[in-house]
Amino acid sequence: MLEILLNIIFLLTFPFLFIGIINKTKAFWAGRKGASVFQPFYDFIKLLKKGEVISATTSFVFAISPSLTFASVVFAGLLVPVFNHRAILSFEGSFILFAYILALGKFFSLIAAMDTGSSFEGMGASREASFSTLVEPAFFIIMASIIALSGNYTFQSLSLILQNSGSFGYLIIILSVFALFIMMLVEGCRVPVDDPNTHLELTMIHEVMVLDNSGSDLAFILYGSGMKMVILASLIANLIIPADLSLFYSVIAFVGIIFILAIIIGTLESSFARLRMTHVFEFIFTMSSISLIILSLTMISMNKHGG
Amino acid sequence: MKYFYIGIFLIFLGGLISTAFAEKLKAKIVSLFSGLGMVFVLIPALNVLFTGNTISKNIYFPEPIGKVNFLIDPLSAFFILVISVMCFIGTIYAIGYIKPYLNKNKLTSSHFFFLSVLITSMLLVVTVQNALFFLIVWEMMSLSSFFLVIFENEKKEVISAGINYLITMHISILFIIAGFIILTLKSGNLDFASFKQVFELNNSLANMIFIFLFIGFGIKAGFVPFHTWLPKAHPAAPSHVSGIMSGVMIKTGIYGILRILSLMSIPSVEISYFVLIISVISALFGVLYAIAQHDLKRLLAYHSVENIGIIGIGIGIGMLGLAYHNNLIAILGFSGGILHILNHSIFKELLFFAAGAVYNKTHTKNIEKLGGLIKTMPYTAAFFLIGSVAITGLPPLNGFISEFLIYLGMLHNFEIKSPVVLIISVLAIASLAFVGTMALLCFTKAFSVVFLGNPRSEEAESVKEEVSPIMLIPMGILALFTFLIGLFPQYALFLVKNPVYTIISMKETVKALDCHVASLLAMTGKAGLCFIGLFLLIYALRTLLLKNKNVCSYKTWDCGYQTGNNRMQYTASSYASPFLSFLKPFFVKEFDTKKPKGLFPKEAHFELHIHDIFEFYLINPVINANKKFLEQFYWIQSGSTQQYILYGLVFLIIALVGTIF
Repeated sequence: MLEILLNIIFLLTFPFLFIGIINKTKAFWAGRKGASVFQPFYDFIKLLKKGEVISATTSFVFAISPSLTFASVVFAGLLVPVFNHRAILSFEGSFILFAYILALGKFFSLIAAMDTGSSFEGMGASREASFSTLVEPAFFIIMASIIALSGNYTFQSLSLILQNSGSFGYLIIILSVFALFIMMLVEGCRVPVDDPNTHLELTMIHEVMVLDNSGSDLAFILYGSGMKMVILASLIANLIIPADLSLFYSVIAFVGIIFILAIIIGTLESSFARLRMTHVFEFIFTMSSISLIILSLTMISMNKHGG
Repeated sequence: MKYFYIGIFLIFLGGLISTAFAEKLKAKIVSLFSGLGMVFVLIPALNVLFTGNTISKNIYFPEPIGKVNFLIDPLSAFFILVISVMCFIGTIYAIGYIKPYLNKNKLTSSHFFFLSVLITSMLLVVTVQNALFFLIVWEMMSLSSFFLVIFENEKKEVISAGINYLITMHISILFIIAGFIILTLKSGNLDFASFKQVFELNNSLANMIFIFLFIGFGIKAGFVPFHTWLPKAHPAAPSHVSGIMSGVMIKTGIYGILRILSLMSIPSVEISYFVLIISVISALFGVLYAIAQHDLKRLLAYHSVENIGIIGIGIGIGMLGLAYHNNLIAILGFSGGILHILNHSIFKELLFFAAGAVYNKTHTKNIEKLGGLIKTMPYTAAFFLIGSVAITGLPPLNGFISEFLIYLGMLHNFEIKSPVVLIISVLAIASLAFVGTMALLCFTKAFSVVFLGNPRSEEAESVKEEVSPIMLIPMGILALFTFLIGLFPQYALFLVKNPVYTIISMKETVKALDCHVASLLAMTGKAGLCFIGLFLLIYALRTLLLKNKNVCSYKTWDCGYQTGNNRMQYTASSYASPFLSFLKPFFVKEFDTKKPKGLFPKEAHFELHIHDIFEFYLINPVINANKKFLEQFYWIQSGSTQQYILYGLVFLIIALVGTIF
């Protein structure tokens, strides 16, 4: 019970902190004092209090989409193990539901962008749809390899890699962490794929899709995208934290890893420029190639140990 | 079995009677009779499906057919269910769809007659167990659907698509005949049951026969590279026919493959890989070409290729499970594949019907000319949206359930502990995930360009009202099915359980595994319900938050540029462009451009045609070579009657001389 409660509290509060820490880190590197780490939360409350301006071109799709996308992210969060490697909802093959429910949210955010009839938003939707086609197969290769190694069909498999694979396991963990980190950058629309601070519509991907959203809808969208990053960061933390840690230590390790990831992202954003749009595919391809390396390592280590 | 004959007879009778009635009554009569017939054929079919027993009866025909065995086993029963229900829904839709074509000197009599012949012959195809009689009803099915395709026969492209379909189907039957001939020669009998011994005798021969039959049935089903008839025939046919053809008829090809598998006890590993690899390629290329289409029905036709691929992946995984003696994998693979047959027939009919409704109102299938229809046709739009989510395989709708089963089957493949199986399974998983995301791209494109934004042309703007309820009701029923199967998948598993046992033919050992699968599905169903609950909660919260607040309507953000028009919206081509440019090598692009010239340019023009590489590099060269060879014989057909009489005379003399010796 305590675990479930901790899990839900984590899921609901950390998105604000995660974005807050990224912004604070960026401010630090820029030599500014920066806003408080709780600023995203204040923004969220502020937006909830506001009314909305809704484009006359739009239909019911635009009205339901932000809520549906947010619901899909929250639901995906319930499937991911947090602290102690246990998810609230856990069953065989739950990673498939995880990926597909996030895809459902993406489906609706894409059509909501197209619903406004704006070329800017259409452009953003087109880019987002194209880029995400490459991420999912790589994610599935990584998850399938990890499942093959650990023999466990739930998300718990993330923490069981070392059991059956010996020294290769460390290599696989490092590569998986790196690949999932790239996935986090792509799905969270951060530098070098997309710049959340850009102010020119033509260069945006995710930001341009939500140009017409305001008020509580915008609040849900921002909260949802923060939560998505935290969920993906949790997957990374699951890979790193060993399976047999006690609850107390695993909470500390978990929170620590999430904060470190936020700081890394902030540092990356301060030191890198975004890629040219045509090079984004190549960047995402690094994730695909890493996933194929993970697959081959899995095969070698299974031949050595299990086979 | 008596009820089955009565049902079939009623459906055929409906078509026959309808020819005598006035034009506007024909569709209603066919629909009424196919509804009655459906009830009768479902009595034995559902009985067999739920109990797992089989009903069989022999009827004696004059030579050379001889004894014909009619059999309803769970596999046939499942297909009877899909065919009868989906065709009945199709005929209801036809009542509304055919209205604008009435009293315009159209051949509606023959159209509805052949519609009932098609339904009858499909029902016979899945029950007959005699090779020769099977070929006869198979041919009846192909011919009747050919007449249905060429309904709008005043259009040149419709006739050419119809001829293409007719020829392709005869290549298909050629392979099937070849396979059956070998089987009959080896077993000495035309009965399917006696073919069993041939499959058990010789492994390499059995594999060869299987590949022959797989090609024959695969052409009907639309596996790549035999799919080229689909994107031509489906757009040419009227929408209720495309719905029935794509949703139901191409599945008879899958039935053929499954029937052969039920005769083979254990398929070899090689042909399992063969089926799996062909299916993965079909799924990938089907959706890839769908993204490039601008014609709504052509796009849907390519998605049929994709979904046939997904069904094939399920079957291939099931075969691998059988080949490696792992029952859980076999159950997961086959039940995923067979459930996807039902699911695909539901959402594909739904999508074709919605596309037909759009065509009915706008008279264009070019999606670049549409837009904004959600405001004038809200129900059609909602149904198309439901169909899109379902076909993309997203939870909580039915497409997810069957794909989930197939994924699980592939994950359990790891238990085989063979590096080759591991590599192939992981790559198949990645391909299926890739197919899923490409389908997402394709259907966000199709739905939003057709229904959202502002109208892009006068055709789209001229739509004033929704289509008639008689067209909406069938779509509503299908949409309801997608939700029911998606939210209560454990009950849908009941429908496919016994058909899977028919193929695996090991009942007792698999019961426990079956419970495991059912409980897993129940879990995904509950997850779907939870998700819907969560969404409604958040949406209610939003409504509550916006209460008493200023919610105003204004135009879309235009970056300060106020003179934009509707043609400046993002189009389907521009939406798909980043992705397609990245996958350039898989397309043959043909540009037709006229650049603007001079200081005051007058005309400019740009057209882009994207061709299928399989058609361009594989099918067309064969056809051209064949054509060149046959051109040598042009001189025989001179057109003068005297010469033809001479040919006849020469032939008679040769025949006479032949008999003397």
